[in-house]
Amino acid sequence: MNNPGAIPLVARAPDDILFRRRGAALTVRHFLRDVRVLSESLPDGAYLINLCQDRYHFTVALAAATLRGQISLLSADRSPGPLARLSERFGGAASVCEEPSCAGTSRHACFALPPEAPAGAVPPIFVPADQQVAIVFTSGSTGEPVGNAKHWGVLAARSFDFGERFGMVPDSPGSIVGTVPPQHMYGFETTVLLPLLATASTWCGPAFYPADIAEALRAVPAPRTLVTTPLQLRALVESGIALPPLSAIISATAPMDASLAAAAEARFGVHVLEIFGATETGSVASRRTVSGDVWTTYDTVRLEQPADGAGTLVVAPPAGPILLTDRLDLLDATHFRLLGRADDLVKLGGRRASLAGLNRILGRIPGVKDGVFVVPDDLDRRPAARLLAFVVAPDRSAEDILADLRRQIEPVFLPRRVVKLDSLPRNELGKLTRAATARLMAGTEGD
Amino acid sequence: MPQQPFEQEIARLIVDTLQLEAASDTIEPDAPLFNEGLGLDSIDALELVLAISRGYGIEMKADDERNGQIFASLRNLARFVESNRK
Repeated sequence: MNNPGAIPLVARAPDDILFRRRGAALTVRHFLRDVRVLSESLPDGAYLINLCQDRYHFTVALAAATLRGQISLLSADRSPGPLARLSERFGGAASVCEEPSCAGTSRHACFALPPEAPAGAVPPIFVPADQQVAIVFTSGSTGEPVGNAKHWGVLAARSFDFGERFGMVPDSPGSIVGTVPPQHMYGFETTVLLPLLATASTWCGPAFYPADIAEALRAVPAPRTLVTTPLQLRALVESGIALPPLSAIISATAPMDASLAAAAEARFGVHVLEIFGATETGSVASRRTVSGDVWTTYDTVRLEQPADGAGTLVVAPPAGPILLTDRLDLLDATHFRLLGRADDLVKLGGRRASLAGLNRILGRIPGVKDGVFVVPDDLDRRPAARLLAFVVAPDRSAEDILADLRRQIEPVFLPRRVVKLDSLPRNELGKLTRAATARLMAGTEGD
Repeated sequence: MPQQPFEQEIARLIVDTLQLEAASDTIEPDAPLFNEGLGLDSIDALELVLAISRGYGIEMKADDERNGQIFASLRNLARFVESNRK
């Protein structure tokens, strides 16, 4: 089993603490025992949809599936329609969760782990570096989620990079409190993989509102790292809540305003660091927000301009080169400025969607003759901002259209308002220009 | 059913905080706030929890089993805030 191509599932000592929850510290021994127990009872199939909300349960289910050679499907979208379609696309994949009230797919299994502490030695588990362990989903241009295959060797390499960059190395075990779901690539890397493959213990419980985050941070030992998003960091700063001493705040999913970073640094007495990445690549670079807009890649990561000039190639061994759609200004192979996302992409609440994909879904709604989603100009600055939709649908009400959309797209991308029009101001090529959509938006103000 | 006085106050807080298009007096006291009805989501919940903590000194938590009940409608949310305000 111990061949050169195999990487430990857990690169930690047997009594190291991987996860914490109120009144409990879960060690490598607990973890390996629970992985072996659960691996005997998971539903069959090549794929398994992991819906667990508790980070320890999520990680045990992921590892148990890996031990059985099953690929875990990680999708942050839990709405019934998309979940059913995901299962169908992957051969009727079953879903698993630890929460008895969880509504999963038609083949859903709810599991419970043994309550007693593990007795005796637990043999280690190795995973071949080239074994695919997960598919992490992002919204694609057709509206159907696009899967990104994740192999254990690549995940291990990025976790090692991450640990080096953020000082999570064997002689200084720290605590992580994360506010992003483990099904999201950023939450998966920071709160699931770092405990296994770098050095950290992760808080398992919910940490979403300011009061939860503060309580979770108080419950874990120093040094403490808060892994969060600009949205939640802003809520923490504005709430005036007190936090125990932190060693770092790490943010991702959306660009952070330098003034927010400065306010958080002053208030919590800690550096605010941002990581840059994508579901396709995982996190590959970082910066301290208040130090300027230049990002530095992790030590093993290089960036290249592709021959045709479009996008940026990320070269992060052992993964092959991956083309990113974000527009980067490359200063050299390891430094860049972030110019923005490709025009078609809209990002809300850490989720990406393609406007073309959303428009296609809107156009297929019965009774909709024409329709378009529009992004408000201040979307990046106003956390509560949402999309709008303009539709031509003489025989349907705005409420009916919204109800149909709700079954097909993630809640965060639902239009805050569906505006009915007699026609859309398309040009002679059938396109809606930026100026035309700006006039539509202006027309909705003050109604 | 018309909004009670404190429900009117919370309805205005919801509309102002989330910059909704709807007028605050059109929010049905018993209609769902999330998913169906007003169609709010978890990002809105974070904004509302922050506004409630600033306006009324109430610190809400994600693992509170009452949340589903509290956020079910304008009526429930107003009742919760009124009886827990500091």
